[in-house]
Amino acid sequence: MPEIDQNLIKEEIKSALEGALNLDSLQQISRQYIGEQGKITLIFKNLKNLPAEERAVRGKMANDLKKFFEEGFQARWGALKGGVQISKNRIDVSIPAKKVELGHLHPLTLVKRKAEDIFQSMGFQVVEGPEIENEWFNFDALNIPKDHPARDAWDTFWLKTNSKEKKLLRTHTSPVQARFMENKLPGLPKIPNPPFRIIVPGNVFRHEATDTRHEYQITQMEGLMVDKEVSAANFKAIVGEFFRRFFRKDVEFRLKPDFFPFTEPSFDLGMTCVICHGKGCVLCKQAGWLEVAGAGMVHPNVFSASGLDPKEWQGWAFGFGIDRLAMMKYGIDDVRLFRSGDLRFINQFK
Amino acid sequence: MKFSFNWLQSFFKTKLPKPNILADVLTMHFAEVESVERKGNDFILDIDIRPNRAGDCLSHIGVAREVGAILGLKRNHPEIALIKDIKDRKVKVKDLLSLDVKVKDCYCRRYTARIMTGVEVGSSPEWVKDRLESCGLRPINNIVDAANYVMLETGQPLHAFDAAKLSDHKISVRFSGDGEKIKTLDNQEFSLNHNVLVIADSETALAIAGIKGGKKAEIDENTKDIIIESANFDSRAVRFASRFLNLRTDASVRFEHGVDPNLTESALNRATDLIQDIAGGKIIFGIADHYPQKIGEKKINLDMDKLQRLLGIRIAQEKAKKILESLEFKIETKTTKFLEVKVPTFRQDVNLQEDLIEEVGRVFGYDKIPAVFPLASIIPPPRNNDIFWEDFVKNTLKEAGFSEVYNYSFFGKKEAELFNKEDLIEVENPLSKEQQYLRRSLIPNILKDIAKNQESFKTISLFEIGKVFSQGKEPQEKRMMTIARTGEDFAFMKGILETILHRMGISDIWYDNFQMIPDESSDKIWNCDKSAEVKIGNEKIGFVGQVNPKVLSDFEIKGQASLLDIDFDKLIKLAWEEFEYQPLPKFPAAVIDIAVLVPGEVMIEDVTNKISAVGGTILRDIDLFDVYDGRGLPTGKKSLAFHVILQAKDHTLSSGEISDAQSKIIKALEGDPEWQVRK
Repeated sequence: MPEIDQNLIKEEIKSALEGALNLDSLQQISRQYIGEQGKITLIFKNLKNLPAEERAVRGKMANDLKKFFEEGFQARWGALKGGVQISKNRIDVSIPAKKVELGHLHPLTLVKRKAEDIFQSMGFQVVEGPEIENEWFNFDALNIPKDHPARDAWDTFWLKTNSKEKKLLRTHTSPVQARFMENKLPGLPKIPNPPFRIIVPGNVFRHEATDTRHEYQITQMEGLMVDKEVSAANFKAIVGEFFRRFFRKDVEFRLKPDFFPFTEPSFDLGMTCVICHGKGCVLCKQAGWLEVAGAGMVHPNVFSASGLDPKEWQGWAFGFGIDRLAMMKYGIDDVRLFRSGDLRFINQFK
Repeated sequence: MKFSFNWLQSFFKTKLPKPNILADVLTMHFAEVESVERKGNDFILDIDIRPNRAGDCLSHIGVAREVGAILGLKRNHPEIALIKDIKDRKVKVKDLLSLDVKVKDCYCRRYTARIMTGVEVGSSPEWVKDRLESCGLRPINNIVDAANYVMLETGQPLHAFDAAKLSDHKISVRFSGDGEKIKTLDNQEFSLNHNVLVIADSETALAIAGIKGGKKAEIDENTKDIIIESANFDSRAVRFASRFLNLRTDASVRFEHGVDPNLTESALNRATDLIQDIAGGKIIFGIADHYPQKIGEKKINLDMDKLQRLLGIRIAQEKAKKILESLEFKIETKTTKFLEVKVPTFRQDVNLQEDLIEEVGRVFGYDKIPAVFPLASIIPPPRNNDIFWEDFVKNTLKEAGFSEVYNYSFFGKKEAELFNKEDLIEVENPLSKEQQYLRRSLIPNILKDIAKNQESFKTISLFEIGKVFSQGKEPQEKRMMTIARTGEDFAFMKGILETILHRMGISDIWYDNFQMIPDESSDKIWNCDKSAEVKIGNEKIGFVGQVNPKVLSDFEIKGQASLLDIDFDKLIKLAWEEFEYQPLPKFPAAVIDIAVLVPGEVMIEDVTNKISAVGGTILRDIDLFDVYDGRGLPTGKKSLAFHVILQAKDHTLSSGEISDAQSKIIKALEGDPEWQVRK
C-alpha cells in the first residue's frame, strides 16, 4: 500500500478547484475525486484490504480528505454560481437584440386588404376606376343634378385640362358604380351584369379645410349589390357581418334615416363603439355609437341613367372611409398622419 | 337648423317626451339631432335637416308634423282669427297696389301680398323675441320679427316693405339689369346682373328676390303702412343669385331647396294676423295673388309587395296607410296590394314609389328590419389583377426592408418646376399653392418624405405605389411605383428591381445608359452619370439610379439618395404568375475562374456577352466576383474576375471539354488587343 501524503493531495485539490472556471469543469473535478473511480473514493474502496489499525488511520484520513474536498467544492461552486469568475467563452445573454430590418406596410393598405378579403369571401368582386372624372359620372349619373343644392355636399376640385368636358377629381367612389353598370370599365372581365356584387376601393378628394378629423384626400370603399330581390334586410346582414369580422367583435348595428341623392331610402349605419361597447367614450363622443357608413337602396334614377331597368333590378349601395376605419381599428386620433410620410408613424404597422 | 322645444310643444296638447328622448326619437326616425342645449326654460335642438327635407322641414310646423307622425300624436295649427273679421271691405288691396310679374312663370311661381295700414312699429313682445333668439335670429322690430317668426314657423320666407317709400303703387318682379345697384338692409352695396331676380317699384329695385330686402323700402319707426310679401321664387334662380353675390340668408337657403307655392297664402295670412296682434293696424281686405300655374297633388301607387321586397320586412297595409296619413298624405283608394297615395304639395321631395317606401320605413323604424343573408347565386368573383400584383409587390418590398408611404396626389409650384409645364394638370381651385398641380410623378413627394425623416432615421427605405397624372388630349392617369433609399448603391437598387421582376415572372430585363432627352423631365431629377433606363425587351418601363445633386440640395436631403421609378401598369401587363419547375442537374458542374484586364470604360456586360457568345451549350452561369481598379494596375484599366460555371445535362464534363471551353473564352476575350486575360 503506497504512502499517501495528505497535504499534497489537499494542495492538489485546492489548485484543481481554483482552476475550475465554470460549473462544468468543477463537476468534472468532483468526478476525479469523489466520483465512482475518484481518487478519494478509491482510498475508501481500498480500506477493506488493509490491516485493522491502518484501516482506522487511513479511514480517518480519507474522511478528512473527503470533507476537505466537499468544503472546497461548495465554496468554489458558490463562487462560480455567484458569477464572481466567469468563463471567457460565455456569451452575455443580456445583449440587446439585433434589429432585423423588415419593412412596413401602410395602415391604409392593411385595412383596405382586410376589407377586400372579407368582401371577396362573400362573393364581392373588387373593382377600381379613374380618379379624374367628369360631371356625368361623379354627379348626374348618380341623380345629383346640376344646380341642385344637393351638389353642395361635395366640395369639388376642378381641373384645367385639354378635354372638351369639364374634369374634376372624384369626390366619392360612387362614379365607379355607374361605370360598372354601364360596362365602361376597360380591362374588366365581363360577368353577367346584373346580378352582381362589387366593392370599389380608392382615393377620393374633397375641397375642404383639414383638421384632425377632416382631410382633403381620403381612401374610400364603396359596395354595391344588385339582383332581382336584394333588400335592406340583406344589407344589414352582409355589412353587419363585414364589421363583425373586421373588428373581431360582436358589435351591434343600427340604421338611421339619412339622405343621399343616389339611394332611396337612404340610411346611415351606426355601430356600437368598438372602444366602450356603447357606454360612451372619447372616440364616440359619449354617444356609444359610431357612424360607420352611408348607405341605401339604389335610386331608380341611378339604374335608369346606367341603362338598367329599375322595375327589373334593385339593390343596395354603401360607402365608408378606409381612413376612418383605420382610425377606429388602431385608435389613431389624427387623420392627417396617414399622408404625413412620417416613418415614426408608419413603422408601427406590420 | 335650431328648433325650440317649447315651440314644438305648442303644437301638441299632449306632453312631449323629454328633450333628449325626443332628440333620440327624431334621430332614429327623421333626421340627426346634433345637440340639445338648455336655454332658459327652453331647450334648443339643433337638427341636421337634409337637403331633401329642407323644403318643408326648415320650419317648426314641419318638424312638429314629423314628431306627431312618429309618436302618434294629434297636432293643432295656430289659429288665424283676425283676417276673417275684416269688416271694412270698401278699400281693397287691388285698389292700392298693382302687381306686375315680368318674368316667366317658372322664375316666380307665385307672388302674394297683403297691405296693412296704421301699424305701430316698435319692439316685439318678449315671447316673440325669445323664440327668434332661440333659433339664432336677432330681433329688429315687431314687423320684421313677425315676418321672421312666421318663416321659422312655416318655412315660408316673407318680407315687409314700407308702402310709403315706394315711388308709386306698383310692385314688379323682374330680372335686374347688368350692373344695377342695390343697397341692402344691412347697408351692403351689391352690383347685380341679368340673372338676378329683383322686386322693384317703377324706379328701382326694392329687394333681391328671395334673398334680402333693400334699404329703400325699409321698415323704420315712422312706418305706418306696409306691404307684406309672401312669394315663391325659382330655386335655381335664387341659388344662382346667392352664389353670384356670395350672399346666403335664411330666405335664400329655403328657396334654394324648393318651397311649396301653396304655402305662400297661409303663411301670409298667419303673418298678417300676427302683425295685427303685436303691432296693431288695419288689414286691407283682399290679397294680391299672382299664381299662374297652380301646383296640384301628385298621385303615386304604392305596391305593398315592392315595399316588402325593398325593405325586407312585411309591414301591414293598414299600418302603412296610418303612417302615410299621419304625415298628411291622403290615401285615395286601397286594393289588397296597392295604396293610391296623394302627395301633399309641401312634400316636393316625394316623387316615386321608393320615396313613399322610405316614409313608411323610417316612421315604422329601420331598427325593426331584421338582418337576413341574401339568397343569391354563387358567382365566384373574378380576381382583380391590378390589386393582386400591387399587393404582391408591396409584400416583396416590405420583406426587403422598405416602408410604404401614402402621399397626396398633389404637388406645388416648386415640385412642378422639375417637369414640363404643358404636361401638368393644374387644379382650378387649389386649396393652397402646395396643391396647385396633380402630381406628375411620385418622386417629388417621396423626396420630401426622405428629407422629413432624416432627423429621426439614419437610413431611409421607402416606396409608394400610386397614380400620377398628366395632360393629354384627355387627362391621363397611370399607376407608378417609386422606391427610394438613402445612400448610393446602384447595384442594390438593381437587385431590388430584379427581385421584384423575378417574382413577377418577368425576364428579359436590361439597362440602357441614361440618355439625355430634351423635353423630358427625367434629366432634371436623375444624375445622368449614375442612372440607367430600365427596359424589358423593347418596352421602356422606368429609371434606376441616383438623384441629381441639385435636386437633393433643393429638397434639403443630406447625403445621397437612390431611386427606382417604374411604370407599374406596364409591369402588371408583363407579369406572369405561372412558373415551371426545372429538373435538378444530374451531372456535376465545373467552375473555372477567369480574370480579365480591360480599359475602364468597358462595361461588365460587354465581357459577359463575349463569354456567353463562345460558351456553348455547357455554359450555365457567369458570376462576377471581383472588380478591381486600384494599385498595381496600369492606369485607366480595371480587372474583372468571374466564376464561369459549366455543366452538361447529359454527362459529366471531361477535363478536355473544360479546358477547351476555357481556351475558347480566353481567345474570345483577347480578340480585343486592349483586353488581357490574367493568367
